[in-house]
Amino acid sequence: MSVLAQKAPARGFDEDGAAPTSLPLPARRRAELGMMGLVFVLVTGLYILSGLGASGSVPKHTPEFAVVCILLLTVAHLAMRRLAPLASPVLLPLAALLNGMGYVFISHLDAGEASNQLVWTVVSLGCFVAILAFFPRAIDFERYRYLIALVGIVLLLLPLAPHIGEDINGARLWVHAGPLSFQPEEFAKIALAIFFASVLAERADLLATGTRRIGRWLVLDPRYLAPLVGAWGLSLLILLAENDLGSSFLFFTLLVCLLWVATGRSAYLGLGAGLFGGAAVFALEVVHHAQTRVQAWLHPWAHFDTSGYQIIVGWFALAAGGMWGLGPGQGNAQVIPEASTDFIFASIGEQIGLVGLTAILAAYLLMMGSGLHAAVRARTSFSKLLATGLSILLAVQVFVVAGGITRIIPVTGITLPFVSYGGSSLVSNYVLLAILLRISNDSANVPARESAAALSPAWDTEVNGAPSTSPAVVGGDL
Amino acid sequence: MNPINRRVRWAALGASLLVAAVFVQLNYIQVFHASALNNNTLNTRNIIQQYSEQRGAIISADGVTLAQSIPSNDQYKYQRVYPEGALFGQITGYDSLTYGTDGLEREYNSVLTQPTTKIPSNFHQLEKFFTTQPAPDNLHITVLASLQKLAQQELAGRDGAVVAISPKTGAVLAMYSNPTYDPSPLASHNSSTEQSAWEALQSDPGSPLVAAAYRQRFFPGSTFKVITAAAVYDHDPKLAARDFPVSSGLVLPDTSGQVLHNFAGEACGGQMLELFTVSCDTGFAQLGLGVGGNALAEEAKDFGWDQPVPLDLPGVAESYFPPASSFYRNGAALAKSAIGQESVQAVPLTLALDAAGIANKGVIMTPHLMQGVTGSQGQVVETYKPKAWLRATSRATAAKLTTLMLSVVNSPDGTGAAARIPGVEVAGKTGTAQTGGPNIETWFVAFAPAQDPTIAVCVLVENQPPSDEYQGGTIAAPIARTIIESYLSTEMGGRP
Repeated sequence: MSVLAQKAPARGFDEDGAAPTSLPLPARRRAELGMMGLVFVLVTGLYILSGLGASGSVPKHTPEFAVVCILLLTVAHLAMRRLAPLASPVLLPLAALLNGMGYVFISHLDAGEASNQLVWTVVSLGCFVAILAFFPRAIDFERYRYLIALVGIVLLLLPLAPHIGEDINGARLWVHAGPLSFQPEEFAKIALAIFFASVLAERADLLATGTRRIGRWLVLDPRYLAPLVGAWGLSLLILLAENDLGSSFLFFTLLVCLLWVATGRSAYLGLGAGLFGGAAVFALEVVHHAQTRVQAWLHPWAHFDTSGYQIIVGWFALAAGGMWGLGPGQGNAQVIPEASTDFIFASIGEQIGLVGLTAILAAYLLMMGSGLHAAVRARTSFSKLLATGLSILLAVQVFVVAGGITRIIPVTGITLPFVSYGGSSLVSNYVLLAILLRISNDSANVPARESAAALSPAWDTEVNGAPSTSPAVVGGDL
Repeated sequence: MNPINRRVRWAALGASLLVAAVFVQLNYIQVFHASALNNNTLNTRNIIQQYSEQRGAIISADGVTLAQSIPSNDQYKYQRVYPEGALFGQITGYDSLTYGTDGLEREYNSVLTQPTTKIPSNFHQLEKFFTTQPAPDNLHITVLASLQKLAQQELAGRDGAVVAISPKTGAVLAMYSNPTYDPSPLASHNSSTEQSAWEALQSDPGSPLVAAAYRQRFFPGSTFKVITAAAVYDHDPKLAARDFPVSSGLVLPDTSGQVLHNFAGEACGGQMLELFTVSCDTGFAQLGLGVGGNALAEEAKDFGWDQPVPLDLPGVAESYFPPASSFYRNGAALAKSAIGQESVQAVPLTLALDAAGIANKGVIMTPHLMQGVTGSQGQVVETYKPKAWLRATSRATAAKLTTLMLSVVNSPDGTGAAARIPGVEVAGKTGTAQTGGPNIETWFVAFAPAQDPTIAVCVLVENQPPSDEYQGGTIAAPIARTIIESYLSTEMGGRP
């Protein structure tokens, strides 16, 4: 790859050097710094409160915690200043807040998991910086899209491999490589999102209108749809083979959503819903795992001792939390199965109540909103679709997790982004974040008149005020 | 770009609606439906929450810790331990996650879990004030561990009960039964330990969870003659002066010639004092027939039978005397009831209270285990104030009964000679009851010192062989003597 050899200048500074390098840092980064400070206060405060609630005294590692917090936040912020200075200031602090809160709640449940999570946070931060560094422009993600798609499929297949794959709770999702274990589907998600966005960006028109004739009707040319359906169908089959129903749903939603956003044909939505319904019925008949899950969803009380136990205990925890929660560090979250991973939402709800959970949901909505704002401001279809895809993935994942816990839909084995314990989840979400920030950084350079449909946040004024001296947009469609 | 942007906005809305649905559902779970969920019977959180709180200690009158919570490294945070085990098991009860509470653990649950906190006066106390785990109060009880241990030793593994009460205050000084149980496994955090202990206790034919001292009833036999005598004094005093002929058997009325024989076929007769001293069945049967069922039933009621006993423990049994109507045209039943047989059923606690009532000039004080409550900083939170329960009989009758009971111990032909203590006036009554089965129950109720009593005792030794050397006077009385002797020597500083 020639990316490293040709180091693109940070966005916002003219390649010719026309914009003086002594310009004050963009307001966005200052805002981000302020928010990082707030995140530090909140997370450290939560850590202290959690210790007080659990044992009645201030936890003894508070100084170390504060130092590590400051270090991580500073590194991330400095990376942003260097690599994506114009990107949205909101995304990273929100992710850091969720990550920090998740760490505190996990540490209350299990100290070993907490230290693992810390290691993974550091690794994720490294990946985050690496992605930003190695992909200086959004278009770089598109370069190796077929390779990326292939890697995604291979990653999905890995758990099925005899020795390194592992069956946990009825689903074959995990891969063991020595001391490490991770869930490949988390990365496959992103790989496929890139692939879909790229293919759709090229072929949006072709997919919107029919070009073949069958009799009187103009229908879609299957050739154009082929790579999409191929990749998608393959992933779905693999996921079903692995009994990973939650991820199947996510992938499905991703494709249908992107298809619709790219082409505007609501037929895709209808078709998608129909296909999903069909697949769901099929899964129910054939996949025992799915049947148990749906039974537990519909009649948890009847299955209290077995499949319904997790949901019911989760509900008891949420109800015990009530409006304001029992307080960080208190309550009995450890009785909930998977309390630190799939059901961490319930243990958080017990401790900080409806108010706390609403804040977390709001954080996710803001992240999604910020990603979609970057999508709207993006100049290339690829960037738009990729940003949309990733933001929607994030929000829908939150819905699937929280919806399972609150019995809107059956429980699936998906983790809450940034918050749940899990290395692959954390790393992949930071990669997702890096991609969103890269796209956000790109689209920040768009002059006001070109982004007619943009929302207008207050922090945009400084960039928009300056006359655009940006170099020509590299490649891509307009 | 516009159309795509528009659709992006729609997608945003769709995703927001999904998240909003979660928010709505959370409102339902955490607010509107929350109390139903919290009170759901399957919800063990409250139980776990209660179970993981530190409980106060239970401490005997002589400072021995009977129950306490020590920190444990699991989700329940505290482990309840019972250092004295089975010795105090039926008094402390247990605090079990699965099986709930019993004994003092149940009766004083709120005391043991509620703390009385002082206003914080420095920073460290302030820090503690903001957490929710202040140390709870401790319960001090009236039982003396030394006396309890003595009771256990004296019973020497035989089934039975020892109850000792302070007549002036109603304080329970000792209350021990065999069989008993160690509550420690029931308080285990390991549910299989808990469960197997519970099942073993449930299937034990001796029913150790049902303490003989206060939860079971037995035929009182001749100890009931105390009540019969009181009934005579209170309702028909002239009968007390009647001289009954000496005989070894009494033909029972309303039967086809059934005869009531005296113990060991002895012949006895005379007036009340003589009848009482030798425990003459034929004599007392006639006294009972003479005073009538109504008087006997009333007297029993006055002495705390046929009504709940206000001891501060759950599940205290009532003693039973048949209603007067059951003796209509059934003089045989009345005769036998007057000597504590037929359907008369006594709880050892009640008999101890009756002795205490006589000792206390006819007033039975409310029996109690609680002596006081202290806070975690050692401050006194509450002290029990003794109060009267029943006016069993008049001072005069109580004095006459005391004379009778002294005679049982002091007289050369008294059945309670084994209870004599040199230099102490012991008043008592023996009892040897048929059970309808092969074995007999042996009893002794007593109080001492008679002129100013400080202890009243009831001893029951069950399942004794039905031969003459096994009687209340030979089996139960020596135990009572030892208990009284020990207590008087500690209380009065060495006076034997």
